[in-house]
Amino acid sequence: MPRDFSGEIPVERRFPLHLEPSISTIRDLYDQAKQSRWDPERDIPWEQFDPTRYAPEVLAAAALSWSRKAWTEYGGLPETPALIIRFCLEHERESDPKYFLTVRNTEEAWHLECCHHFAELLGGFVEQPASPAYAALFNQGLHREVLDASRSLDAYVAAHIGIQDGLDLELCRLHRGNASNPVARAILDYLVADKTRHAAFGWFYLETRAAGWNDAERHAIAAEIEHVVRDIELKGLRCVWLSDSTDIAEADRVTSGAGLGAATRAEEEPVLRRYLAEAMAQFAKLGVEAEIG
Amino acid sequence: MSIAETSTHPPRKPTLLDRPEQRFPLKLDVEIKKVRDLFRAATRNQWDPCTDIDWSALEGLDIDNTHRHAARMYWSRRAWSEYGAISESPALLIRFCEEKREPDLRYFFTIRTQEESRHAEACYLMAEHLGGYIQQPALVDFQKSVATHGVRKMALDPETPLEAIIAALVCAAEEVAFDVFRHLVEITPNKAANQVLRSIMRDEVRHCGFGWAYLEHRIPRMSRAEIDVCEKAVITMIRDVEMNGYHSSWLAPDSAATRGEIEADRLTWQAGLGATVEELEKPVFVESVRSIRERLAPFGIAIPMFEHPKFDGLV
Repeated sequence: MPRDFSGEIPVERRFPLHLEPSISTIRDLYDQAKQSRWDPERDIPWEQFDPTRYAPEVLAAAALSWSRKAWTEYGGLPETPALIIRFCLEHERESDPKYFLTVRNTEEAWHLECCHHFAELLGGFVEQPASPAYAALFNQGLHREVLDASRSLDAYVAAHIGIQDGLDLELCRLHRGNASNPVARAILDYLVADKTRHAAFGWFYLETRAAGWNDAERHAIAAEIEHVVRDIELKGLRCVWLSDSTDIAEADRVTSGAGLGAATRAEEEPVLRRYLAEAMAQFAKLGVEAEIG
Repeated sequence: MSIAETSTHPPRKPTLLDRPEQRFPLKLDVEIKKVRDLFRAATRNQWDPCTDIDWSALEGLDIDNTHRHAARMYWSRRAWSEYGAISESPALLIRFCEEKREPDLRYFFTIRTQEESRHAEACYLMAEHLGGYIQQPALVDFQKSVATHGVRKMALDPETPLEAIIAALVCAAEEVAFDVFRHLVEITPNKAANQVLRSIMRDEVRHCGFGWAYLEHRIPRMSRAEIDVCEKAVITMIRDVEMNGYHSSWLAPDSAATRGEIEADRLTWQAGLGATVEELEKPVFVESVRSIRERLAPFGIAIPMFEHPKFDGLV
């Protein structure tokens, strides 16, 4: 369920306007991202996809698996702009996260375009999940939460980038490892490369901020992490076998078996457990102790 | 709640952020081909201010400190202005998502915001290479001229029609900006400054193209009353924002801040580093307004002639 919105967004005081490099790790990510630009139309070997090599039920499964990837990727389109605005509204904040996030948003659009187009080639993009409960998991209204002045920006970054983007990257790597089809492989290669920077951004940012956190801020961060893990990820947003969407879990099994870029529960579960354990250890080093069970 | 509390804290006007997200059904097909093509063209034509500008052209300039300082100020001011779009353009993308507008708009605006950050970065680097970026205006008055013109607030206000925002912000304000950029490219001799201006101008072509393509798509589906709102928004943008000096300092009301800005522009232009002056820009502005008026007329948007003390007749 989406959470309450206080109705207040921070008020901008633009000057002094810092545009100088400040967080060198994030500035490097921004510079790398500009140099790593790619083009979904030209850099994916779409012409190599031959649907006649696959049975109709495999194509249908893969169309659903890639539609689900598109539903997830789409989340960045409203969320990242809200993050950019929030960073701009926070007084005297560094320019590096703002710059980096503008590139991230473009990359999210490319990911979305690729997932949507591949689903179309596989037989047709599916516009929504069959399960209303699963659909509700996508309607978190994250752009509202980011802009909500009553919520901590650092807690948001910790939970939604540290946890969610990091997990997203690990699952994407797994799916890439299972992909033998050249189109699926090429798309996932680009997604992994971009998402590696997206995940790194969160941790670099948190490392920069951690020294300034007090107990109340660490508590707010821990609470946000617990909410995201408990109410979103362990409900199956990314690991669909945790949700009631058995149709998508089955589709992922078939898609994975055909080398079209997905994974089974048996493959995803250890990745989920390992990533959450590693993330909690990383947060502990930053002084944040979250209880995720 | 007491009456006193009610009077001091009027009910907050709801914004788009008060609406719960409804992501599905998620439609991603091409609906406005011209806009989707702009997104793809933008993808193909990216550039990097760090590596694609010949910054060596700013080494060993034969200019005195007065001209150098003016150019630093000019490019810092331009960076502040470009930065404004980084913080405002994303609000429109949120609006497109919330209102489930044509998917092409959402795709295009992701890269548009990135282009705004490139522009801010390039202008910042110009100022840095000229001696140092300046973080804030010297005069408080000056802050108003580079501050927001309310795009973020309008974008998140469901009662402000999106088409009116696009018509005013893109088809009027960005069109004027583009025409001025083209003029600056024509008159700026320094290689680095010219490359920066040309690179920004190439992005701005697409930004303007987006606005016209969107109006072309939407106007046939709009009522006369809705088109009237667009017309009013464009008139306000030209008369109260552009002709108040938003892009061109010489159009602003006289003040110490305005005089300082005009002088910095003149010194920067004299140094060949990328500004222009009233006598050169005036015909560009007149032609820009005429062109906007002509292009909006077929949409049923009638833009009147405007008066301004800087012009002998109507503009």
